[in-house]
Amino acid sequence: MKVGKWKLLLPLALLAVGATIGTSGALATPAQANEVRFAIMTDCKGAFAFGYEVDTAGTIAALSQYAGAKPKNKKKPSAGMTGGSAGGKRLNLVGIGCGDETPALALKETRRLMVQLRADIMLGPLSGDEAVSIAQWARQNPAKTVIIGTAGSQDPTMQIAPKNLFRYHGDGAQWNAGLGEIVYKRLGWRTAALIGDDYSFPWTSAAGIIADFCGIGGRITKRVWTPPAGGDYAPFIRQLPRPNQVDGYFWLVGGANTSAALTAFEQAYGPLNARQHSGNLFLYFLGANTTVAPRLVGAYMGGFGTFQTGGLKNAQARNYVRNASRWFTGQNVNDGFFYNYWNAAWAMVQGLNKSKGAVGPALQRALPRSLKPGFQVANKGVLRLDSRRQAIQDQYPLQITRASGEGTVSTSIVGYVPNVDQTFGGYFGPNKPAPGRNYPPCVKRKLPWQGKIKVVKNGVITNQVIK
Amino acid sequence: MTVDRTKLATERVIGVAALVVAVLAPTLFSAFWLNSILTQALILGIGAASLIFLSAYGGMISLAQTGLMGIAGYALANMVTQRVPGGETKGLLLGWDPTVGLVAAILLTVGIGLVFGAVASRSYGIYFLMLTLTYTVIAFLFVGSVTLIGGFSPVAGVDTYTPGFIGDIVTDRERLYYITLITAVFVYLLVRYLVRTPFGVSLQGIRDEPVRMASLGYNVALHRTIAFGIGAFIAALAGVLSAWWFGQLSPTTMGLDATIQMLVIAVIGGLRRIEGAWLGAIAFLMINNEITNRIPSSGLPVIGGTFNTVIGFIFLAIVIVSPDGLMGLWDRMWDALRRRGGPPHAEPEGGEPAAVASS
Repeated sequence: MKVGKWKLLLPLALLAVGATIGTSGALATPAQANEVRFAIMTDCKGAFAFGYEVDTAGTIAALSQYAGAKPKNKKKPSAGMTGGSAGGKRLNLVGIGCGDETPALALKETRRLMVQLRADIMLGPLSGDEAVSIAQWARQNPAKTVIIGTAGSQDPTMQIAPKNLFRYHGDGAQWNAGLGEIVYKRLGWRTAALIGDDYSFPWTSAAGIIADFCGIGGRITKRVWTPPAGGDYAPFIRQLPRPNQVDGYFWLVGGANTSAALTAFEQAYGPLNARQHSGNLFLYFLGANTTVAPRLVGAYMGGFGTFQTGGLKNAQARNYVRNASRWFTGQNVNDGFFYNYWNAAWAMVQGLNKSKGAVGPALQRALPRSLKPGFQVANKGVLRLDSRRQAIQDQYPLQITRASGEGTVSTSIVGYVPNVDQTFGGYFGPNKPAPGRNYPPCVKRKLPWQGKIKVVKNGVITNQVIK
Repeated sequence: MTVDRTKLATERVIGVAALVVAVLAPTLFSAFWLNSILTQALILGIGAASLIFLSAYGGMISLAQTGLMGIAGYALANMVTQRVPGGETKGLLLGWDPTVGLVAAILLTVGIGLVFGAVASRSYGIYFLMLTLTYTVIAFLFVGSVTLIGGFSPVAGVDTYTPGFIGDIVTDRERLYYITLITAVFVYLLVRYLVRTPFGVSLQGIRDEPVRMASLGYNVALHRTIAFGIGAFIAALAGVLSAWWFGQLSPTTMGLDATIQMLVIAVIGGLRRIEGAWLGAIAFLMINNEITNRIPSSGLPVIGGTFNTVIGFIFLAIVIVSPDGLMGLWDRMWDALRRRGGPPHAEPEGGEPAAVASS
């Protein structure tokens, strides 16, 4: 066969250029002494790809508010930031990690950010299994500091709990505190089935529901777990008991797949009855849905410890919303993704100011053990970390309401559960298994907030308790 | 000196030079490059070598190799990790002796590989390809669905439970690099040796003329099964090293993306020569690393997309320009030299593998 010269010379030339560019970063260059290198770890692929801009916005907005940074582009947070200093050192955002909710990619991106790009601090990740993976990595790299962005698996700060890992928000269980009691009391549920994605965040999320619902006397009759990648939900829906066999269903099917799963339910068992459905923060993803969402108006759901829409009417919350809204256009600062990254970045600034710009163990000692975030009410608005550096936060069960757009839904706050700790008053613990498909068991047990959940009306916490 | 002899001598010089650079790598490259590019390239290269061995000398393009790597990694992870405070939270946590776990994981993978191979030994071409893809999908779904051995959450801490002769690879990443390098050299020499043995020669005969070899009295299915078992052994080595390198196991490491990635590595390097495995791996990782760092998060200008788009274009270009990958490009360069006046072509030792398309 005759081979044209271009077929030989062009690839060889490209190879030479590629190899030169490729190896140009192989030799280590020293970091500058007057800077603090940090990175954001979030998702840009998969069911939480939207988080890329939202999480970055939360981080940069906080750094703009508290460290003198400035967004490069008010409409596009991932464009990065200019300026900013803390503890007398310049803040250098070395990179934004691009995950897809899988542990393998999260770990790979973490190594790229923390080793190749030499970040000392990482704000992130976004998702539960990613956080499990990164917590294990953090345990082996004690000089690096990780402040979780908005991931809700229990393991990172309970069973693994490395000393260089901090979380200034609740885990998935905390985010559902009070929900089981509300459906038990207000909707009369006594039996329920749950369906969720088969990984650590929904397991933790389910654990909170189970603890609450079973704790007051309810019974979970079936737990169905679906592969996290989504796809066809029909076979899993068919594993659920029929609507006349249980009082209700708890939904923990993730992100963009929520409406697909609910649609599959409708196809199997007929139109949704809002009184029979409840779920975790994944129901937020129905916000713009016009198919099944309208039929869930009135359903109760967990959350982030934020309000998403229809916020709490107090000075601290208003102050946060006003400050956070200044920096980007088109961002919902009530969103848990934005809010949690904001708090993580704010904590980083406080820690660096206290450590005078030192990183590693000095920063880990200096990072605040309490914070006064926008949506904390208990303890005069102060959120505290426990001994494993995990937030003890207020939680606000929500109810799906009709939104202004045709067929779309929103949420309003219905309850107030103060000071929810990660152990649920000893129900979970570092020496107990992490939540899984069949753990925890469904048992009746007194939780610290049982019978004390306050009613919230029009954004005001009342003295009434949920009955 | 003939062109072929010059080529052989040049390849030997390049090979020795590459080995010298590899040995001196910890002093030449940054920690990230050593750990995340070179070590990973050696591991992926070993995995791709198992694929290229089957393809080049057995005429079997197997998509089961990432599945087999995953099986080895999961077996090791479940056997050696244990429950300790602040430790691992997923998997069986059997806490076996790491040496026993290592041997058992490799043996288990080879056993499964032999079973897989026996079932697929009478399939050819696209049917063999699909069957081996099915193996990987089964393995992926199995570890994802059986939460007892891991589920979709990561089984972690594998790198902290290594045999005594391996030592601490968590804090001493150079140690892991050298272990990987030694294993890669061992795999390379093993394959070079195997293809010269009577078994290897008859395997190449089966690759080219299975019907004729069967009529000569060779047990074609048995040869192909054993070859698949050898491929599983090499994949198991890559799987164990990968588990140590990652420190964690999750199903995505053996999913469809990882399977395609392994095939892309083999194709970039060249499916006809074993050296292509490592060449393809390092090219793939360099491209990946550069693109991840240089392309803006919003994607490529005009066309959008990120790493997968670029690697797709490169893959397409390689298939068009040099279907035998980078090694094929190298061979073409020497063919061009030969045509410019060199003496007639002489068969290189070990036998020239048949074109993959004919398998």
